Amino acid sequence: MVPLHWYLLLSSAVFVVGVAGFLTRRNIIIMFMSIELMLNAVNISLVSFSRYLSDMRGQVLVFFVIAVAAAEAAIGLAIIIALFRNKATAHVDEANEMKG
Amino acid sequence: MMAEGIFIYLAAAIVILSVLVITRSNPVHSMITMLVLFFHIAALYVTLNAEFLAAIQVIVYAGAILVLFLFVVLLLNLKEEMVARRYIGPWPLGVLAALGLLVVIVLSLKSFIPGPSGVFTTEVVRAETNTKVLGQILFTEYLYPFEVVSMILLVAIIGAIVLAKKRLRN
Amino acid sequence: MPSAFLPEEYLPIVIFMMIVIAFGLGTLAAGIIFRPKRPYREKLVPYESGNPPVGEPRYRFSVKFYIIAMLFVIFDVEAVFLYPWAIVFDKIGLFALVEMLLFIAVLVVGYVYAWKKEAFRWD
Repeated sequence: MVPLHWYLLLSSAVFVVGVAGFLTRRNIIIMFMSIELMLNAVNISLVSFSRYLSDMRGQVLVFFVIAVAAAEAAIGLAIIIALFRNKATAHVDEANEMKG
Repeated sequence: MMAEGIFIYLAAAIVILSVLVITRSNPVHSMITMLVLFFHIAALYVTLNAEFLAAIQVIVYAGAILVLFLFVVLLLNLKEEMVARRYIGPWPLGVLAALGLLVVIVLSLKSFIPGPSGVFTTEVVRAETNTKVLGQILFTEYLYPFEVVSMILLVAIIGAIVLAKKRLRN
Repeated sequence: MPSAFLPEEYLPIVIFMMIVIAFGLGTLAAGIIFRPKRPYREKLVPYESGNPPVGEPRYRFSVKFYIIAMLFVIFDVEAVFLYPWAIVFDKIGLFALVEMLLFIAVLVVGYVYAWKKEAFRWD
């Protein structure tokens, strides 16, 4: 039987990779994908908790997280398209003014 | 032993693929890598006795969200993107912050104490099927969050149309 | 500690996936090994029914595609909520019907909004 700690370590590793990607990349779409990575990392830990504590609520929570992630992707990518429209760039360090 | 072997393969693949996702210069390559990553996470859910979530992972993440990402990537000028700088100027600072976070999380895992166990053991869930147990909890105990999700989806529809539609008018 | 468990009924899928990957990589590798390699310039350009290719293969998509894709994602999530609902419907009954109708009613508002804003119109 795989210990629960292995799953938690995997989850934290993926989460940290997501944080690193979000903090270092210039391309806003890759930054957005890093956020999806972080959400997936949290989902892994929730599912493993659900399995090891014999409680289905963790899986219900993952269901909600996935639904919210879909809504977030739709809105976030719409904002990215608005950024393209105003600045014609996908790089966050070129969009550094408060007023377009 | 078998379970450990499968877990080690899946974990190694997930970590390596997620590092590849954030380091590719071509966003389309990142996207394809992420697709493979989502399939591996779905396989991990299957080994965790969460078959329904594995299916949802493939349907929603791999089937819908990634397609949406791909559409937005195709709005980009990819040729320009391939030669542009990949990382922000002070990128070592970002990596350092992430590694610091990893240290904090791993140290905090040491003091983790699992709470009380619930009633849905693997045998109970397998007898009832995963989807049925999940549905029973979702539509009774989590009724209110379920209805709130519909509001979130409504906001997403309206927000995305308002934000993206402006372009079409002029 | 829960008992060890491996979903062995998924083994055929795993074997199937392995065969698929092995077949794909195998045919590509066999092609690389066995085919003659005599490239020249005209052979390497993309085939466009005999005409010389014009412009970029990767052109930018219209934003209209994006709106359709976005609405697809949202309604995909809605459909996903219907699966467990359909499974447990006979156990919960009328209560489940009412809550799902409420859920769909809220999303129909969004659908009507998208319709009125002409998000489904192509031109």
